[in-house]
Amino acid sequence: MKEIQQKIERLLLKTQKPARYIGGELGSVVKDRDKVDVRFAFCFPDVYDVGMSHLGMKILYGLKNSRENWWCERAFMPEKDFEQQMRENGIPLYALESLDPVRDFDFIGFTLQYELSYTNVLEMLDLAGLPVFARDRKALTPLVVGGGPCVCNPEPVADFFDLFIIGEGEEVNIELLELFERMKPQNPTKEEFLREAAKIEGIYVPAFYDISYNDDGTVREIKPNVPEAPARVKKRVIKDFDSVYYPESFVVPFTSIVHDRAVVEVLRGCIRGCRFCQAGFIYRPFREKNIDTIAKQTRCLCEQTGYEQVSLSSLSTSDHPQIEKLLDTLADYTDSENINLSLPSLRIDNFSDELLEKIASVRKSGLTFAPEAGTQRLRDVINKNVTEDEIMNTCRMAFEAGYGTVKLYFMLGLPEERDEDVVGIAELAQKIVDLYFGIPKEQRASTIQVSLSTATFVPKPFTPFEFEPQALPEEIDRRQKLIMDAIHSKKIRFSYHEQKISKLEAVLARGDRRICDVIYTAWKKGCTLDSWDEHFRPELWDEAFEECGVSREFYANRRREYDEVMPWSHLDYLVSREFLIRENKKAHAAETTRNCREGCSGCGIKQSYGGTYCGKVNS
Amino acid sequence: MLTPKNQSLIIERWERRLTFAKEGRARYISHLDLMRTMQRAIKRARVPIWYTQGFNPHMYLMFPLALPLGTDSRTESMDISLTEDIPFDTLLKMLNSSMPEGLYFVKAALPVRKHTDIAAAEYEVEIAPDVPAAEALAKWQEFMAQEEINIEKRTKAKKGKKPGVKQVDIKPHIDVLCAEERENGLFFRMRLPAGVELNLNTGTVMDAFESFSGVNIVDNYTKRTKILCFDGEEFI
Repeated sequence: MKEIQQKIERLLLKTQKPARYIGGELGSVVKDRDKVDVRFAFCFPDVYDVGMSHLGMKILYGLKNSRENWWCERAFMPEKDFEQQMRENGIPLYALESLDPVRDFDFIGFTLQYELSYTNVLEMLDLAGLPVFARDRKALTPLVVGGGPCVCNPEPVADFFDLFIIGEGEEVNIELLELFERMKPQNPTKEEFLREAAKIEGIYVPAFYDISYNDDGTVREIKPNVPEAPARVKKRVIKDFDSVYYPESFVVPFTSIVHDRAVVEVLRGCIRGCRFCQAGFIYRPFREKNIDTIAKQTRCLCEQTGYEQVSLSSLSTSDHPQIEKLLDTLADYTDSENINLSLPSLRIDNFSDELLEKIASVRKSGLTFAPEAGTQRLRDVINKNVTEDEIMNTCRMAFEAGYGTVKLYFMLGLPEERDEDVVGIAELAQKIVDLYFGIPKEQRASTIQVSLSTATFVPKPFTPFEFEPQALPEEIDRRQKLIMDAIHSKKIRFSYHEQKISKLEAVLARGDRRICDVIYTAWKKGCTLDSWDEHFRPELWDEAFEECGVSREFYANRRREYDEVMPWSHLDYLVSREFLIRENKKAHAAETTRNCREGCSGCGIKQSYGGTYCGKVNS
Repeated sequence: MLTPKNQSLIIERWERRLTFAKEGRARYISHLDLMRTMQRAIKRARVPIWYTQGFNPHMYLMFPLALPLGTDSRTESMDISLTEDIPFDTLLKMLNSSMPEGLYFVKAALPVRKHTDIAAAEYEVEIAPDVPAAEALAKWQEFMAQEEINIEKRTKAKKGKKPGVKQVDIKPHIDVLCAEERENGLFFRMRLPAGVELNLNTGTVMDAFESFSGVNIVDNYTKRTKILCFDGEEFI
């Protein structure tokens, strides 16, 4: 370690934001390496600034370190400048607490938050000095494990991992590490350990499944090849969400990171069922924490970290059954301590006057809405149950309270999208501008700026749109131009998300194991940090697809039949296939589905998983 | 209507000058990040800190002199204001209760000098060159025997002028108090200008030495030992 530290320190002053690479932050856990039995390197496959903002890592880091004889440390993807320095100076990927090389750890765990981080996983394994393919890592350790939302279809990265953790990690991580601690003294082979691990609910060992394909290239069958592997791996759910482990402190970084604040998770799952949204399905069922629990955790975290800002985290904070009371309780504390309370993810429809005032009293920034589609018909198709009246009402309240900037997010290329829906995006922005000018001068802000932003729709597994083709790039270009031509006000700004990225994302999201080679080839050609515009190299990806003989269109732009075996069919996210098909059919008929609070729609999740509204019919 | 916060708070405040150390891993915290780190440390310590008044209240912190990134020190200064008069040693104990590795407070006192009085600082520099120490020392003496030591300095864009590079002679500002061989390297003590008027870092001097002599500095350990006022007195 001393040697690595010395080598690192020699490089730090030549490096951008060196505090990212040396650890030592408040709250980082340092143990005696001779006194621990299990060492886990929690790797986030992106740079420190991004990875340190991730809540899941903070939870699992605290959870594992709460065991005296386990030590969980952090590792991140270095920026290109430091990565090159590491290679030139023979510094392997190291963990920030001990500065020990991660290749000597028992576990190397990656959280897969977005598809474009896949090449970073390969880069980090390679930097660690390990073979990237699981089959080439013969020894028991390090075991390379993966979790996070993308493992709902882990097939495109299946060849690189020893096992995946499906669903929520708080319980299954403990079970996995306990199993390892128990078996380690007997020196099992890697296969012996994996066979035992496969028996744990929520553990998926890709090597234990054989995939066969039909002549048309679709998957024929996914079959376990050892008795320990279940035919379908069921995701894990925390049934008692209120009492689940939550860290009392965070690692507090020195350098500014993307989300540099205390974060308290207030609920998990979402009642809404927007048909494009993967999070809305894979995190079901909806469960919330009690107000007292949230208040206690907020106070504890703020006191331990010294953060001047706390944020409530969830998919839709205003869906907490007691949101008003919650905010009152928290505001009493945060006001007295000069702490800012921030509330991301509020929905338009239940955005009350009072709520707006509470937010405004903290800091007057802009308002951001995501109507997602330009017309009511298309919003019904995607089951985004927000009406134009609600949008206009909220904007009126906001303008009257002095807000002057509104950001609106939309998707292009949604199923059933017509030109009038696309033009509707520009028209909605114009109506908002008109609304502003209708408000008396002395009440409104001095200027108005409406920013429109569109992203290309990417169909994702375990959503009702998993069957849908992604719109072709030329078509998206045409639709972007339609919007541009329909904007007539200087108060409206329009920007769109880089399309080539969405195109790749669509392949990686619904790919099968044959995509592993494409990812490997692209990485070999130098693709890393693909989610960063300045590093993304679409031409190298094009070459990789070409060389591997893989058609993107087959994965991205093809309509899949209701009875097609999906590459992720052997994973059970509890939401039934029948429900997804039902929802898909309703989408094409532009019919909406009520939210869970209004009444259960029978998505397939059993009441026993602890969902607040599961199986309840009344409103 | 929104009203500025903290309007009714006590205006009376107790000013304190804290001396702190920044060493080990904490050396790599940049000055901007240090501000944030200190604010959080004060909040954790529950020190009765004075907040500015207005729409966006924030803690009042002032650093009289920035420390270059990578430099060790036990003599850094930070000024704060309190809303309660608490004893110096109690204040120190509170602050040191939850600090990150390498960052800690060594003294609390009343501020005596104004920060504009600061004019110089003293440093100890240990370097490991890629040539034998005796050879490096000889090169150093040659380096310091030059008539002028010119370095390139980037200039900011000003009215009508583009940003550019200009030659600056730093020779008159380098006051070497000691230069000797030590173990496998060289050891220096030097006094360099610091403060509002003119700042010169040891890094700039060492870079100039490297490019003059062709010697490569493999390891470099620098420590600030004193902050001095224009009259030669230590800044307190």
